Amino acid sequence: MKEIVTVQVGGFANFVGSHFWNFQDELLGLAEDPYADSVFKKQHLDMDVLYRTGETQQGILTYTPRLVSIGFQGSLGSISSHGTLYNHEPTTTSDVTTWTAGVSTHMAERHKKNLFLRSLYEEQDKTTTVDDRTVDRSGPQREYQDKDIVESLEKGVKFWTDFSKVDYHPQSLYELSGLWMDDWEFDNYGIGRDALAHGLREEEISERLRFFVEECDRVQGFQFMVDDSGGFSAVAAELLENIADEYSNTPVLLYALRAPESYVNLGKRKQTILRSLHDAVSFSRLSSYCNLVVPVGLPSLSTSQVSSFFCIEDEKPYHCSAIYAAALHSISLPFRMGSLAPTTDLHYVSGAVDVNDVVQILSGQSRRNKVAILDMAMPAPSLTGNEAGEKLLDYLHPVTPEIAEDVEDLQAVETMTIHGVLGPGGHQASAFEVKDTIHRAYEHATTRPKFCHLSMAHTPLPIPLPFPSIFKNIVGQHGELLENPAAGPSLKGSLDIHSIPMAVRLRSSSAILPYLENRLGYLRRYGVDRGAPGAELVRSWGFEKDELEDFGEALSKMVIELKPHREVSSDSD
Amino acid sequence: MSLRVLNPNAEVLNKSAALHMNINAAKGLQDVLKTNLGPKGTIKMLVGGAGDIKLTKDGNTLLKEMQIQNPTAIMIARTAVAQDDISGDGTTSTVLFIGELMKQSERCIDEGMHPRVLVDGFEIAKRATLQFLEKFKTPVVMGEEPDKEILKMVARTTLRTKLYEALADQLTDIVVNAVLCIRKPEEAIDLFMVEIMHMRHKFDVDTRLVEGLVLDHGSRHPDMKRRAENCYILTCNVSLEYEKSEINAGFFYSNAEQREAMVAAERRQVDERVQKIIELKNKVCSGNDNNFVVINQKGIDPPSLDLLARAGIVALRRAKRRNMERLVLACGGEAVNSVDDITPDCLGWAGLVYEHILGEEKYTFVENVKNPHSCTILIKGPNDHTIAQIKDAVRDGLRAVKNTIEDEAVVLGAGAFEVAARQFLMNEVKKTVQGRAQLGVEAFANALLVVPKTLAENSGLDTQDVIISLTGEHDRGNIVGLNQHTGEPIDPQMEGIFDNYSVKRQIVNSGPVIASQLLLVDEVIRAGRNMRKPS
Repeated sequence: MKEIVTVQVGGFANFVGSHFWNFQDELLGLAEDPYADSVFKKQHLDMDVLYRTGETQQGILTYTPRLVSIGFQGSLGSISSHGTLYNHEPTTTSDVTTWTAGVSTHMAERHKKNLFLRSLYEEQDKTTTVDDRTVDRSGPQREYQDKDIVESLEKGVKFWTDFSKVDYHPQSLYELSGLWMDDWEFDNYGIGRDALAHGLREEEISERLRFFVEECDRVQGFQFMVDDSGGFSAVAAELLENIADEYSNTPVLLYALRAPESYVNLGKRKQTILRSLHDAVSFSRLSSYCNLVVPVGLPSLSTSQVSSFFCIEDEKPYHCSAIYAAALHSISLPFRMGSLAPTTDLHYVSGAVDVNDVVQILSGQSRRNKVAILDMAMPAPSLTGNEAGEKLLDYLHPVTPEIAEDVEDLQAVETMTIHGVLGPGGHQASAFEVKDTIHRAYEHATTRPKFCHLSMAHTPLPIPLPFPSIFKNIVGQHGELLENPAAGPSLKGSLDIHSIPMAVRLRSSSAILPYLENRLGYLRRYGVDRGAPGAELVRSWGFEKDELEDFGEALSKMVIELKPHREVSSDSD
Repeated sequence: MSLRVLNPNAEVLNKSAALHMNINAAKGLQDVLKTNLGPKGTIKMLVGGAGDIKLTKDGNTLLKEMQIQNPTAIMIARTAVAQDDISGDGTTSTVLFIGELMKQSERCIDEGMHPRVLVDGFEIAKRATLQFLEKFKTPVVMGEEPDKEILKMVARTTLRTKLYEALADQLTDIVVNAVLCIRKPEEAIDLFMVEIMHMRHKFDVDTRLVEGLVLDHGSRHPDMKRRAENCYILTCNVSLEYEKSEINAGFFYSNAEQREAMVAAERRQVDERVQKIIELKNKVCSGNDNNFVVINQKGIDPPSLDLLARAGIVALRRAKRRNMERLVLACGGEAVNSVDDITPDCLGWAGLVYEHILGEEKYTFVENVKNPHSCTILIKGPNDHTIAQIKDAVRDGLRAVKNTIEDEAVVLGAGAFEVAARQFLMNEVKKTVQGRAQLGVEAFANALLVVPKTLAENSGLDTQDVIISLTGEHDRGNIVGLNQHTGEPIDPQMEGIFDNYSVKRQIVNSGPVIASQLLLVDEVIRAGRNMRKPS
């Protein structure tokens, strides 16, 4: 078994993670559901890669994500950081056994559970009473329906826990306490670095991580989801530094996630400098400790081509994170195919790779570029007609910001995962059909990558109940594109749509150059150059000038590596 | 005013309003923490928005749990928490002292005094108080064998302010013995060499000191012994798992056989390392019943575990980095980074190694060691919040013992120092000061009394009576503190109530600095706040 340990750091990362784990939970649920669609019965995916088996003190078995999530104190809303699985004592216990003099109780206002969370708890209670007494299965009718739940989520999601249907392990959710600031003040690298400099926070987080790693027989890699728009990127970087030290040789795949709201321009020069420097420093630090970075997050997701079939509100992290989580889910599928018996029917899954393979394919080839671009098609079109492959490639649009379009790069390499797409005749396309179609499309294409690894699975993306209602009318129940959409609700959600075929692609291409050059530019202009206006600022973050110059050097190396005709230009230097 | 023209949203508070804002914030924070102080204070139970419970009697923990927003309060809180970082205690006292300094100042300022003059007085008083503390402290000779009784008294004084008496007294012995265990002559005490481990199990009184180490994980092989006596301990940081190296990664252009060969070669290297360990085991364990335990900081994969299990070796993987150091201090031997030339000299020794399982949690006890220089305090309690509170108290207790050894001095507690220092300032120092700065000295002197006053208040006593009787005794030349039960003066020396010298010094040092900064503020400008705040 080859385990993956997932780490989520920061606000938006936890939103993405929450959707990500909802997908996993849905897959697990559907596999056991006798009424579920047959594609979900035989998934040929090894969920143990992402999940761990445990046992409570009472001897009850548990199955929980192998996850460490780091967030602000109070960012868990109505969910307890200890989770519910392992706590059997009622939380209202007021007896204080360690003190005999007075006790004063300070109650924070109780976060109200929304309709969705309430329904989850009621379901849990119901199953236990049914087990105990075998009362009639129908039980009392709920006074609300799934429709109301979906509606209430649309109206008010404040915390990432509001729409999470997953039970987490008590070691999973870590809150940064005692920072004495609002989350919007925690907006730069220096402040995040300070947060870990004092006290035992860093050690506590590392201990949580160690708890999950120790029980793994063979870790294939770490999957980091980091909200790198603020202080949390420093938290992640310190943690990564520790990992590089402690678990050397274990590859780290990092998603640098951004919500559209993190791009809101305040218009002030001081703010611009701060943010640019943050971006440069944060990227330099994070990229130096991981094997592959995938920046994810468009300034305006709602108007991008990715959202052709969605109606998204950019200011709702609940919406945007759902799209990105779907892509991350698809990327992670091939990591779970490998440990299955070799006799597995290649009809269902093919193209197994592990984290290290993906890292090597994308960054270890003729040139060393560890920053990959993420493209996605959601839903992926059916493979019908002559130009099916070309159509599918056309549907892939980037969710990585600041990249060049239409770049011809003969050195480009990529990995692609396609799952759940329908073939001619409306059934799930087989691995062979998909492979064939894509290869044919690339043969005919004018620009094609030097190498493309293709993974494919039968199982589409399941749409769990708490998925936002963002699909346009044209999308059908199984993610097919309808030619004559029936009149109905203007937007469809989890009640109308059960699954979505997906295609995602990670590509290592010189199209990432603007992203790198921008950061290099920020660093030089605001931090390193003589009289740079932000020099004082970065010093206050704890970076000396020579450290910044090292960052600059590393960045320019990355840039040179990707520049076309680099042999020529380096000779002329 | 120009700022308001530029940014109509900016809030500008003028000098006097700014000052009062600062004073109110300081008083507010003081009010929150006041009831904490002393062995009669109230414990606070904080219930979060999701029903999570935190239990604390510690100012430091309380501050960290509070979501403070007021900038002045944050400044004070930072100072107080820094106080804890430096000396391990005194957070509550620092906040109280700053609050009281501000309160005393308010009175003077309302009467028309300039803050600058007050601040000058503070500075004089601070220096005088620090000098007085040097004279007042009780020196303790440490030498080879520290006086255990005095260490216990200091630890007890701290612990009794955090935990009920019986438990505090039990922990007193534990923390003193723990620090003495790790102490090495001529070296600074590294409290990290005391591991603090917890189990959610049984009762708080089952908390104990393990002379040796408790690890929070166990072996990962079903055939390894769960209990072993007379064990050689190999502490190492050696990878015993097959790792991908870069050469075999370009799999898609090398052929499958080549790849297999490389995998096999890699595997062989790992097996060889395991074999080296087994050889050493056979060397030292042949002809006797002794056991062999490997504790590795890096991973050990299932094939390696198999090999080790078959050789009768108990192996633990992914030990905490700090435990590498602790193990060597507890068991002897050395931590090795390579198995190439390991010898029996590298091995440590433990009389007993056994595993304890609670649900999915495993604990490995390494006990009966010879001459340990590292140990573990094993905290037990029925629930998480009880454990967390005991843990905080234990940390404070350890710091108190460490401070005493390093300070080579203690200070009489129960408010005795504060009353004595106040009398010294009023009777000796004040008259040497010229002009109105005298009032600053006086304010400072009175602010010191906040500690005995609050102690009295928390015990339900009349503060006026208490202060009068205490100052009266001091004027007669008797150094006394407050008896919390009766309100009568007591001799802290007789009662064994001692505080840390370094903690007191730190409070006297940092309190006035922050108070002065807050008093000298000219304008408070608040702009930009709330602009991006999500509703």
